[in-house]
Amino acid sequence: MNRNRRLTRFSIAMAAVGVLGVAAAPTTALATPTISISGATASYPLVSLLAAKYVKLKPHSVKFKITQGGAQIGINDVAASRVSVGDVSRDPLPTDPKGLVFYPVAKYGICVVTNSANTLSNLTPSQVVSIFTGKTRNWSQVPGATASGTIDLISRTSVAGVLTSFQTLLLEGKKVTEPLAHERPSEGLLRAEVEGDPNAIGFLSNYQAGLGKLNSVSYNGEACNRSTVQAGQYAGIARFYEVTRGPAQGFVASFISWITKSAAARKIISSQWVPVT
Amino acid sequence: MAVSVLRRLRSPWPDHRAERLLGAVSLLVGACVIAMIVFVGVRAWPIFEHNGLSWLGPGGTLETQIANMQATSVNPPASAYHLNAWPLVYGTLLTTSIAIVLGTVIAVLSSIFIVELAPARVRKLAIPVIRLLASVPSVVYGLIGVLVLVPFVGNHLVTASEKNSVQDFVELTGAGLGVVVVILTVMITPIMIALICEALMAAPASWREGAVALGLNPLRAVMAVTLRAIRPAIVAAAVLATARALGEAVMIQMVSGGSSYTPNFSHGALIFFYEPLRTLASAIVDYHEGLGAPALRATLYAFGALLLFSAFVLSIAGYLIKLPLRRYQVRG
Repeated sequence: MNRNRRLTRFSIAMAAVGVLGVAAAPTTALATPTISISGATASYPLVSLLAAKYVKLKPHSVKFKITQGGAQIGINDVAASRVSVGDVSRDPLPTDPKGLVFYPVAKYGICVVTNSANTLSNLTPSQVVSIFTGKTRNWSQVPGATASGTIDLISRTSVAGVLTSFQTLLLEGKKVTEPLAHERPSEGLLRAEVEGDPNAIGFLSNYQAGLGKLNSVSYNGEACNRSTVQAGQYAGIARFYEVTRGPAQGFVASFISWITKSAAARKIISSQWVPVT
Repeated sequence: MAVSVLRRLRSPWPDHRAERLLGAVSLLVGACVIAMIVFVGVRAWPIFEHNGLSWLGPGGTLETQIANMQATSVNPPASAYHLNAWPLVYGTLLTTSIAIVLGTVIAVLSSIFIVELAPARVRKLAIPVIRLLASVPSVVYGLIGVLVLVPFVGNHLVTASEKNSVQDFVELTGAGLGVVVVILTVMITPIMIALICEALMAAPASWREGAVALGLNPLRAVMAVTLRAIRPAIVAAAVLATARALGEAVMIQMVSGGSSYTPNFSHGALIFFYEPLRTLASAIVDYHEGLGAPALRATLYAFGALLLFSAFVLSIAGYLIKLPLRRYQVRG
């Protein structure tokens, strides 16, 4: 093979790469901007509803790419600029990376749930602490429980904001006992586990807890649902945040301000959750 | 002009050029493997630097240690790297070794049946079906496990008194060692059967016929002569199956219970098999979401490094075991 032929092949290859590059450039320049969101599985249903409505009201202005994984993922992703917005289901912590801005978007209740066959109606704060820290291990020690035998504790993996909020708000800052409790990576899987196990107890955001097939337990005499959260009577009230790296700008800022200010967003939030103001 | 260049590209390449190209590709594969080992090792290094080999030992609660790593997100102090990975190492060893022992016995016996005893029509059907089984993705097994096997074991096999007897240290919900081992065995056995069947078919029929002529019945002849001859192939099959079992992550994450408990035989044999656990690979899946925290990221890389190291030891061990068996070897 002589030098000329090699040169020809090389130049043809370079030309092909160049043509591809030129062809790709205009498409990215003309595309609709995308807001990428990752984070809390608890706020996922709300954020998807809001995003769908936003796209309907302002067609072609913006596209959404929403993934779940846990509040800590949302924090990590947005801090590393892998996404434009992080969804977080707990309050800011001193250990969070610096420079993040938390925009509260909704309030929600964290409900203690049992299998639908266990019609336990109420737990006192000390009973909740005792059960989730592993001191009370049998349903026979819990007055009002219709399950019998060992309590199956179902918790969330440590990336979950709902776990952090649950421990702060309903466990007096104590930790769910490990490795006794089985950990589930998402709200949906925790829900499936409690639905399938008559002895199980766990905790979910009020939206997931209200979907039926589960028994939602009152805390200190207050039911856990949208109206008690709105009235502020229920103790386990946490917030969903949209988090950006530095103050939100451009189309991300418009989306977040639409969530907090518009009547349409307020209506969606009020369907299952509670607007912040 | 372009057409003539394309025609030249399609014309056969001279030997020396093809040789160089193939050599470059195989060197590239080797370089990738080495780069991967170095990368994982470097990323995992802070863990071994802070913990030494006591990292592999027992102590503390793994979930708490992981939560501490996540709490110190950006600039972790040296104390945040503290971890005792024993529950995961134990879980990995336990699930893999039980599944391999069960799998090898089942694979050897069923291969003998398929190759030596089954009618030709059954054999023609069985071998392709087993090859198909060997390629089923593990997440499919995991789904069946979490939706069918785990609730069945939890609601029908585990009794209330068994749950009560260990309720202070561990929860028996059905997800645990037993279900993991059953599914893992089902996953790895087809690969072993496929490899062992091939070796059995390659063993010279004259050896077995000679044994039969000397008065052994056909089954004894297979056991005494053919099986001995294919021992290297059985070892090779077991090594391959162990590698798959060691690295299995998603299925185990789905059915193992999600708790870093170390199953304890003194609770009773049945309870032992109901107890939950985590393995190294399933812990990577469970906690990959915390990759943003530097201490946790190094920990997950350390789990990966340990798995890589095990795979390396495994292939060397397989080679050493096969050496003395090679005298009458057929293949392997």
